[in-house]
Amino acid sequence: MSTIIDVQGIEKKYPGVIANYDVNLKIESGEIHAIIGENGAGKSTLMKILYGLVAPDSGRVLINGKKVSFKSPQDAMELGVGMVHQHFMLADNATVLENVILGSEPTSTGGVIQFEAARIKLLEIAEKYGLNVRPDQLVSELGIGERQRVEIAKVLYKGAKILILDEPTAVLVPQEVKALFENLKELTSHGLTIIFISHKLDEVLAMANSITVMRSGTTVASVEPKNTNKGELAKLMVGGELPKRGDTSTKPSDEPVLSLSHVSCLAPDQREILSDVSLTVHKGEILGIAGVAGNGQSELIETIMGLIKIDSGTITILNVDISALTSREIRDSGVGYIPQDRQRDGLLMMAPLWENRILGHQSTPPISNGFWVNKSAAKIDSERIVKELDVRTPSINVMAAALSGGNQQKFIVGREMSGDPNLLIASQPTRGVDVGAQSLIWNKLIEARLSGMAILLISSDLDELFNLSDRLAVISKGKIVAVLDPETTTPEQLGLAMTGEKI
Amino acid sequence: MTDLLNSFLRNRWVRKIASPSRFTLFVVALLIIVSTVRRITGAADITSAGLSGATLRFTIPLLMAGLGGLWAERSGVINIGLEGMMIAGTWLGAWFAFIYGPWVGFLAAAIGGAVIGLFHGILVVRIGIDQAVSGLAINILALGAARYLSGILFPSRGGDISLSPVVEQTPTLTVPGISPLLGSIADKNIFLLSDGAGILSGFVTEISYATILLLLAVPLSTWILWKTKFGLRLRFCGENPVAAESLGVKVYRMRYMALAISGMFASVGGAYLSLVASQVYREGQTGGRGFIGLATVIFGNWRPSGVLAGSVLFGVTDALRIRQPTSIHAALLVVIIAGSIYVIWAFATGRMKHGVRALMATSFIGLIYLTVPEIPREFVSFFPNLATILVLVLLAQRLKPPAMLAVPYREREETE
Repeated sequence: MSTIIDVQGIEKKYPGVIANYDVNLKIESGEIHAIIGENGAGKSTLMKILYGLVAPDSGRVLINGKKVSFKSPQDAMELGVGMVHQHFMLADNATVLENVILGSEPTSTGGVIQFEAARIKLLEIAEKYGLNVRPDQLVSELGIGERQRVEIAKVLYKGAKILILDEPTAVLVPQEVKALFENLKELTSHGLTIIFISHKLDEVLAMANSITVMRSGTTVASVEPKNTNKGELAKLMVGGELPKRGDTSTKPSDEPVLSLSHVSCLAPDQREILSDVSLTVHKGEILGIAGVAGNGQSELIETIMGLIKIDSGTITILNVDISALTSREIRDSGVGYIPQDRQRDGLLMMAPLWENRILGHQSTPPISNGFWVNKSAAKIDSERIVKELDVRTPSINVMAAALSGGNQQKFIVGREMSGDPNLLIASQPTRGVDVGAQSLIWNKLIEARLSGMAILLISSDLDELFNLSDRLAVISKGKIVAVLDPETTTPEQLGLAMTGEKI
Repeated sequence: MTDLLNSFLRNRWVRKIASPSRFTLFVVALLIIVSTVRRITGAADITSAGLSGATLRFTIPLLMAGLGGLWAERSGVINIGLEGMMIAGTWLGAWFAFIYGPWVGFLAAAIGGAVIGLFHGILVVRIGIDQAVSGLAINILALGAARYLSGILFPSRGGDISLSPVVEQTPTLTVPGISPLLGSIADKNIFLLSDGAGILSGFVTEISYATILLLLAVPLSTWILWKTKFGLRLRFCGENPVAAESLGVKVYRMRYMALAISGMFASVGGAYLSLVASQVYREGQTGGRGFIGLATVIFGNWRPSGVLAGSVLFGVTDALRIRQPTSIHAALLVVIIAGSIYVIWAFATGRMKHGVRALMATSFIGLIYLTVPEIPREFVSFFPNLATILVLVLLAQRLKPPAMLAVPYREREETE
């Protein structure tokens, strides 16, 4: 193997921030090289420099021993460096083939696209690297995993020899992650080089040939997976230890807060999306919901929040039937809700933080007296959240969009826990946030549990479920197939339940 | 089962085979209904060459405005200024046709429209002015400019401030052999055959060369937008400009070009009004056709063939409006019969909800038919708008507007 990319002493400053300094990185040809680090550690800036989106202030990048200076991603592409973005750069309303060829269309005279030639080339690439893509499908019909394969096919079509993947597994369900890893191995077996950015230590250890750790804008270590372990990597990333489970000595009380009894729910096309679901969350208990994404988790939350109406069964909170109430009334009865998509459902991105504090609390004290919104109370309470949850922001008057994902999420967690709700529904509370924010959010959830809050935790992160939950319910095809004790459950049992086996 | 049927219908080959034959079936069925209605009501006009010819003349300006809207929207920019661009076209067309003849009139309108389109582009793409505001400004500006220039130029040449002098007619084509043949069949009063011949003869008798040329804009637009590199890149600017730019597409430049083409089409549509549909520029001649053009884009699901269908629908009603009231009444009967057939078909295929809704609508129109002897012309001109609203309500799920339509886009700064 030879060094294909050699980064020497890169520095990049933005007004008020040093994004990268003294960054050194060596990547060997044909390897899978992982770059890990907390949010804000400078990984994204480094990637932008590598694929030509931004130019470094000083330092140099060598590719195959030659110094390069890219003016645009197209320059980088010409030297074989291609980026697979986390938020896919695809047009839904166009076919796979159209998306793949955009920017490097094979044309005959007059700019007419030779679709047949393009289709053949794409199918050859798909065949060679084992990427299952169908050229004539509309992208809007594709699932997330398929979209990612299209993105990969896209950079391969343009001749990439070095692929940069930005958190490729963040949006995938476990089976898709497995398929992706097989694809990546296939690519390296053909001599391609993969750089991938990740938060997930397990994946990095399982997949990468070498790992570079970044912290606060610089590279702190390069290690090989066989010489390290999760604890050490986490330590390198955060400079501390991984969060531990809080006090488990206290047991939940027997007093039910939320209980669903034989709840069923039909989609408009009469498909059953929830089927005879019965579960109870007690005071001071965290009930975890595990399951492969798309098996009724979102619908479960939406029925509890009154967003979709149930067809049979009852839902009660503190023995009050809420199945006929509106979302507003349900929230006012003491329910906090951390939605899974913070940017879509949790925040107004273009509104200041203190206005975001009002969302969902616009009719309850202290924010409101029932008619007028109390601006100063909202501001005071925003300050409290920023302080208590260590939300890193210059002030509460900046737009939510200005915060990093982890800080946005911390703000939401603080907001939804304010006023000590009886019940907190937390859906993917730490998805896509850095280790520091994750540990803080976990500790907040544990504290809330100790103070007697009932928490329904929906997550696709097994570490999270096992670390926090008192009990685990597994959902599959809209049914609760098992309720497990996290202390005694084995991964095999869980895996079986998630694939729908009764245990 | 419905899933299976849907996936079957969505299949590329099935679509290719099914759609032309379905279209033919639809046309034949409509012809039978129309012929029957003519028999029953005696409203001879509804299958006459006069009505079909007028429909064609009313369709073209709407089609041009619609294609103008389509080009702009496919690149991600809404062109509310279509109406103003049409006004510019009517005026420029008439003035240059008066001096140099009709073809120069069309050319001048095309160039002028492209310039105004570019102006809209600079305002919304580069400067970032709200797309609706810029469009409305163009509408107002064009109206005022046309009146101002008319006041200076027309009175001394036989017109006045709101009317141009009469211009030369564009050359027309009457297909030799076929046109007289169809005419003679139409006069024989044979059921179906004469009716079909009557309608067809409107399309081959004294048809302007401009009409033929402009109809070609439909396949041409489809071909450019879906088969060429330019078209693919232009569409991506409307779907995902961030992705397009990351792959080296100059988003601003593509949008400028799309808006120039958009303005050109709208303006040529205006010139058609003043050079072919009449031979004079009149103030207010466009009568809101630019806005109807926007509606045909939605009706046509952002596809040129769909825009054509929408324009024909609006064109027919436009033509009906200026003809005999009996034709309007008869046209109502056509709608009722077509509606009844749909009701039966819906019930037969087990789609009760659709059937009941269609039954109610048809009964309502039936009631009007029986109780109102003369339909107000205003209602007729409103009908296509109603149809567009219905399309929006009923087919909203299937409409596929460009994903980033009307969302302003900033190109990345050099230094990030």
